[in-house]
Amino acid sequence: MKTRNISLPLYLIWLFVLVFIPFLIMLFLSFTKTRGLDFSHLVFSLDNFKDILDPIYFDAYVNSIVLSAIASLLCLLIGYPVAYILTNLKSNKLKNILLAMFILPMWSNMLLRIIGWEILFNPHSILNSIGISFDLIGSPLAIIIGMVSTYLPLMIFPIYTSLNKLESSLLEASYDLGASKFQTFKSVILPLSLPGIYSGLTMTFLPSATNFALPERLSGGNINLLGNIINSNFGKSFNYGFGSLLSVILISVIFVLVFFINRKDKDGDLLL
Amino acid sequence: MKKSSKVLLVILALAVLYIPILIICFLSFNDSLRPYEFSGFTLKWYSEIFAEKTLYEAIINSWIIALFATAISTICGTFIAIRISKLKQKHRQTVMFLNNLPIVNADIVTGISLMIIFSILGLHFGKYTMLLAHIFFCIPFVVLSVLPRLKMMDENSYDAARDLGCTHLQAVFKVIIPAIKVGIISGALIAFTMSIDDFIISYYTTGDGFSNFSTWIYSRLNRRSFSPAAYAYNTIITFGLLIILIYINLNSKGDNKHEKKH
Repeated sequence: MKTRNISLPLYLIWLFVLVFIPFLIMLFLSFTKTRGLDFSHLVFSLDNFKDILDPIYFDAYVNSIVLSAIASLLCLLIGYPVAYILTNLKSNKLKNILLAMFILPMWSNMLLRIIGWEILFNPHSILNSIGISFDLIGSPLAIIIGMVSTYLPLMIFPIYTSLNKLESSLLEASYDLGASKFQTFKSVILPLSLPGIYSGLTMTFLPSATNFALPERLSGGNINLLGNIINSNFGKSFNYGFGSLLSVILISVIFVLVFFINRKDKDGDLLL
Repeated sequence: MKKSSKVLLVILALAVLYIPILIICFLSFNDSLRPYEFSGFTLKWYSEIFAEKTLYEAIINSWIIALFATAISTICGTFIAIRISKLKQKHRQTVMFLNNLPIVNADIVTGISLMIIFSILGLHFGKYTMLLAHIFFCIPFVVLSVLPRLKMMDENSYDAARDLGCTHLQAVFKVIIPAIKVGIISGALIAFTMSIDDFIISYYTTGDGFSNFSTWIYSRLNRRSFSPAAYAYNTIITFGLLIILIYINLNSKGDNKHEKKH
C-alpha cells in the first residue's frame, strides 16, 4: 500500500538528532577535559574515568541504588495489591473515582509535593501545635518516603494495565481445574502481570535514582544521588566531561532496560 | 484478602500520595509567611496569584507551553503511530524501541542532551527551546497511547474506504481517526499532564529569564521572593480538578473504556 505519510522518516531523523547525536557528543566529551561546551580549549584525557572511581562519589552510587531500590520495592508492595484491588472492583463508579484519585496527585506540582514532605519532616513544623515533631530531614527514610510518594502512581498504572488485560476465562479455567485462589494467583495472574511489574519497577527506580531536586530538599544537602552529581557537574562546576561520562553510563543502563522491556512487551503499551 | 485489609491498603496508598498535597493546601490558607507556624486563616495568597507578577507569568507560561506542546505532539504522534502500525512486526518493534527510549530515559539525561544539542545548533534558549523540548518528550507518549487502538482496529477498513473512493487523507480523517479517538484523547491528556508538571527538562532547556511554574518555584526556594501564592495556585488546580473528575464520574454512565491511562 502506497501512502504519502512521511511522518516516520521525519520522526526517525528527529530522534536521531535529539537522542543519538547528543549521546555521541557526550561520549566524546567523556574522553575530554572541558569547561562547558568550549571546544576550542578541549584537552583529551582519561581523568574522568579516574574520577568516577573516586571514593567521594561511592556514597552517591550506593545511595542511588539502595535508596531507589528500597523505594521501588515499597512501591511494588503497595502498588501491586492496589492495582489488583482496582482491577477487581465490581462498581465501575468507585473504580473510576479511585483511578482518578491516583492520577490526580500527578497534577499537583512535583516540587511542591516534595516541599510538603520537607515541611512535615522538619523538627520545627506546623505539627508542633498538635504535639508531634519529626526530625527526618537528612535521613534516608525521608528520601525513601519522598520517592514512594512521588512515583507510586507510575507503579500502579502499568500493573493495572497488565492485570486488566487478563482474560477472565483464564482464571475460570484455573479454578475449574481445581487450583486454589493462591495457586491461581501464583501460577496464572502473577506471571501474566510480570511485564507490568518490570515496567513499573523501571518507571519508579530510574526517576528515583536520578531526580536531583528530591534529595536536595529532603536531605538538606547531606545525601547525594546520581542526579545531584550529574546536575552539579553540568550546572555549577561546568565539568561537562565528567557529567557526560556519568550520563553515558546511565544511558547505557537505560538502553539495556528498555531493550529488555521491549522484548517482554510485544504490544508496546505497558509503559503507560 | 479481607475486605478491611483492602480498604486499609488503598487508604495507605492514598495517604502517601495526598499528605504532602494536604500540607500545601493547609499552608495556602496560612497567614504566616513561615511554613512552621500557623498564625491565622487567610485567603490573601489566592489573590496574590494575580498580584505576584513573576508567578502569574510563570503560570501562564506553563499553560501556553503545555497547550502548544500537547496540540503539536498529539497531531505528530497520531500520524507517526498510524505509520508505525503499518510496519511489519519486526520493524515495528525496533521503531517502538527507539520511541520508548525518551520515555524511560532519566529526565536529567534528556534535559542535558537537549541542552547540548540546542547550544550546538546555536538556538537561543528561552520559550522556544522549552517548547521544543516539551514536544520532544510528549510525542512518544502519544504514539504509545494511540498505537494499541490502531491495532484493535479492523485493518481492512482503511482499504475499504479507499476502494469506495476516499483519498488517503479522507480515509485517515473519516475512518482511522474516529476509530482511534479514545487513544488520541488519552495521549493528549498524558502529554498535557507531563508537560505542565515538568521541572527537570524545562530547567535545562530554558533561558532568557523564561520560567514555567516549576522552574519559578525552584529558583525561589528558601528565598524571600518565594510567595505562598504558589501553594494557593497548586491547591486550586489539584482540588478543582478532583471535584471536576468526581462530578463527571458521578454523572457518566460508567463507561470504562478510557480507564487505564494516567
